[in-house]
Amino acid sequence: MTSTGITGRLYLNPLIILGGLLFAFIVLSSFQAQLLTQADPLGTDLGAIRQAPSLEHPFGTDGVGRDVLARVAHGGRLSLQIAGVGMIGSLLVGSITGLLAVFAPKPVRWSVERAIDIQLAFPYVLMAIAITSAVRPSTIVLILLMILAGWAASARVVRSIALQERGKDYVKAAAVLGIPKLRVVLLHVFPTVWPSVVVLAAMQMAAMIVFEATLSFLGMGIQPPTPSWGGIMLDGKNYITSSWWLTTLPGLAILVTSLSLILIGEGLQKRSLFLRSRESDS
Amino acid sequence: MKIFIFQRIAQAAIIVCMITITVFIILRLSAGDPARIKAPVFARADIIEQYRRDFGTDRPLVEQLMSFVTNAVQGNLGDSFRYQAPVTDLIFDAMPKTLALAGAALLFSVTIAIVLGSLAAQRPQSIWAWLASTVALFGQSAPVFWTGSILVLVFAVGLGWFPAGGGDGFSSIILPAFAVMLSILPTQLRILRAAMERALQDEYIRTARAFGVSNVRITFVYALKNAFLPLLTVIGLDVGYLLGGVIVAEVVFAYPGIGELALIALNSRDFPLIQGITIVSASIFVAVNLAIDLLYTALDPRIRLEHT
Repeated sequence: MTSTGITGRLYLNPLIILGGLLFAFIVLSSFQAQLLTQADPLGTDLGAIRQAPSLEHPFGTDGVGRDVLARVAHGGRLSLQIAGVGMIGSLLVGSITGLLAVFAPKPVRWSVERAIDIQLAFPYVLMAIAITSAVRPSTIVLILLMILAGWAASARVVRSIALQERGKDYVKAAAVLGIPKLRVVLLHVFPTVWPSVVVLAAMQMAAMIVFEATLSFLGMGIQPPTPSWGGIMLDGKNYITSSWWLTTLPGLAILVTSLSLILIGEGLQKRSLFLRSRESDS
Repeated sequence: MKIFIFQRIAQAAIIVCMITITVFIILRLSAGDPARIKAPVFARADIIEQYRRDFGTDRPLVEQLMSFVTNAVQGNLGDSFRYQAPVTDLIFDAMPKTLALAGAALLFSVTIAIVLGSLAAQRPQSIWAWLASTVALFGQSAPVFWTGSILVLVFAVGLGWFPAGGGDGFSSIILPAFAVMLSILPTQLRILRAAMERALQDEYIRTARAFGVSNVRITFVYALKNAFLPLLTVIGLDVGYLLGGVIVAEVVFAYPGIGELALIALNSRDFPLIQGITIVSASIFVAVNLAIDLLYTALDPRIRLEHT
């Protein structure tokens, strides 16, 4: 990699650039949907029910004549916002529990580790069903469900890195010097975990997009008529044999979004490996 | 070794107890009054009171919990509101179907992970390596319900090779299992490929090559033995993810398993059924995890040493 130009200085690689462009496109068409289509995502047109994709309606129309492209574009805004909040929440919970599982007193460590195990072993969809049976589905509940579905995976990653750091000399030296454990963990250990948290952020965001869609598809997420990606596909489920575009095309939006985020994540991982190897060379 | 097994079993038992109590208390506190849910909407107060007595909700929470646990241990989880049948019967009708689907998906994905992962590890520049990366990337990005819908469109509606849904016979398992397989394959494929790459560089492999052992035998017998352990670990860790995918696939394909049952129970507020499904499945997952843990120690004696 050359050290000239902007790509050189930021150490971008093709994966990050491709993923970033795709993701920027998705974000732009969701938050500035009017650039993509003028159609109203909630406006019904009973004269144009379930029309196949055409120039006027590039993604076709749904069972009550709404423009699917407009619904996908507007639905993307909500899906992305919710996924973003869910991602931040699950990273926060995951980082704290991951660090607790390594540095806390033994009983806490044990229970946090068991909690991670149980969470990973238990199917999140079933847990979501159990929880939504107890409370009404709403956006807050949906976000909490997503955090619940994602925190353990982040905790596992943070824990495995913190575990390696715990054995290192600088942590032992800090303990000998009598520096409070909390200070060591937050100021010295956490920065070494940070690059992996950034990679995780991209991966978790991709997972959250899929979670949100899945929960909405099962009727536990965003309630109709507000468009969200999973909800749009749920609407189309009944017409799957006759109107393929109602499920296929909204799903494509989910696929492209999570694909772009995974590309960014993998690119960031390569980048941090590269930076680390360069550090150890010099 | 005996102590270790005993410890793990005790841990699993404690976890099952904790889950049971948590589910019971949360549902009892938040789901509202089961008697009101079950009774007709405009029922008279004395009729609701009657339901309450039948259900046992007029007694203190601790007493209810005790009688629930006593019954549960005897295999009685109460009666479903919607189906008017014992919850245990409903669960034991649906559970084998779910496990068959999960098993089929796991079989598909482990087979593909081993074959494709090994080929990709052996020839990093070949079409196989490219295919492995592409499949992993696609499987990770695509939601199960979307790949499921596409499979229905192509293979059921378009080509007519498989039924679009339902749960009768072997042919109805193929499409949902394939959809679930795509979602669990990426992790397994990456892990096996990396482990295989490491194993193939080991000295015992070089020795085997020097002895003229065939390439296929080296890869799938000698190297696979070591590369399989990390794969087993992720299979164990991803049990929850696998079953999450299975539940979604059940809904998409109208496959009469636990997920479909749970969603029907959710939509009809059938609260004993949800409670039963959650507790029974939680116990099964804990048991599966325990089995994988023990299997792992049997395969890799080093782990036992760490724990005892």
